[in-house]
Amino acid sequence: MMDVTWGEVARIAGGGFGLTILVLIILSVVIWVVGVIIQKTQARGEKTE
Amino acid sequence: MFGLYESAFGALTWGNIVMILIGGLLIYLGIARKMEPLLLVPIGFGVVLVNLPMGGLMETIVQGEVQESYAIGGEPAGVIARVFHMGLVWEIIPVFIFLGLGALTDFGPLIANPKTLVLGAGAQFGVFFALLIALLAGFNINEACSIGIIGGADGPTTVYLTNRLAPGLIGTTAVAAYTYMALVPIILPPIIKLLTTKKERAIYMKPQMRPVSRLEKLLFPVIGAVVIILLVPRSAPLMGMFMFGNLLAVSGVTERLADTAANALMNILTILLGLSVGCFMSAETFLKLDSLTVFGLGILAFAASTAFGVLLAKLMNLFLKEKINPMIGAAGLSAVPMAARVVQRMGQEANPRNFLLMHAMGPNIAGVIGTATVAGIFLGILG
Repeated sequence: MMDVTWGEVARIAGGGFGLTILVLIILSVVIWVVGVIIQKTQARGEKTE
Repeated sequence: MFGLYESAFGALTWGNIVMILIGGLLIYLGIARKMEPLLLVPIGFGVVLVNLPMGGLMETIVQGEVQESYAIGGEPAGVIARVFHMGLVWEIIPVFIFLGLGALTDFGPLIANPKTLVLGAGAQFGVFFALLIALLAGFNINEACSIGIIGGADGPTTVYLTNRLAPGLIGTTAVAAYTYMALVPIILPPIIKLLTTKKERAIYMKPQMRPVSRLEKLLFPVIGAVVIILLVPRSAPLMGMFMFGNLLAVSGVTERLADTAANALMNILTILLGLSVGCFMSAETFLKLDSLTVFGLGILAFAASTAFGVLLAKLMNLFLKEKINPMIGAAGLSAVPMAARVVQRMGQEANPRNFLLMHAMGPNIAGVIGTATVAGIFLGILG
């Protein structure tokens, strides 16, 4: 069996998984915020017309 | 023969015969069982071709000596060896397949329900789980990451990452990823049934999602690329092409480019990828204990990703006012669109009123983004 540096493994596996979740949560929040802004802007535009 | 030339019969080994049978099996699965035929047929035929000795398709020159199977670091001389070298070692094929995937993808369900992105992230757990098991099985960290990424159920990403981190495993991981992607309708249902009750599988989700405006669809690839690449710079080749392909499709002014990316270019790349991955699988490179272990770990990664996706959806239900059907978590596996179709079929079995396809497409596409992000993270740390 290869010598495993478990500290590095923890950094890659734990940190990697955490970072993946974080990146996609940030992306989902950004998409949601952009969606809300666009929907409100369009609703305001329709009301003005 | 007759002292004029040498036939290949004398050079045929038992290993070649086993591999030719494996190639035949892949062709059978593609044609008779219609499992990922666009990939399994070229891969299977490539396996058959390269195991007919003396054909020279994958000849490589290493220190002036001609070697029949492809050798990493050597100079490619055979025609498919050149395709393999330029397409995969130079990373052109997987990256441009992402362009085609982007052009084929509708981000509408994801934009309408952004929380499904979290399900796509959760389903990446299998990647990290298989990574740990691969380390315990004796693989080094680079190889373990390449094996783990099979759990993302994303062929081009697997090829791209393996080529960077563990080029010696490229044939095995690619075939494992594509074979298991083809087997999604068989792998997913028992795991989903094991982790959900009939009542949970019958949870009704309204078929109507909010309408997504053209402006949102236009902004998504640009904002998505900027956010993800700023956070994970090494995901730029895959995510950049994915989002660019999608922008071509939604812009409304580049139909010709989007059509080429989604059809002609995608088809050409699929042929080149399939043949070159298949031709990498000569008996001497493939018939090793390591290859069988990679296959075993690959299915473990798939199962763990599916299971964690379902469990995460159940966890989210504890906090959501409007419950989601936990089966859509299994679609976080990025095998697009098979995973979503399996969820749709199982949803209708449990509750004929349910139409889960569009709900499952959100995590399914999020799975593609999630796997490419994981690959970028691995490259950022190890590449």
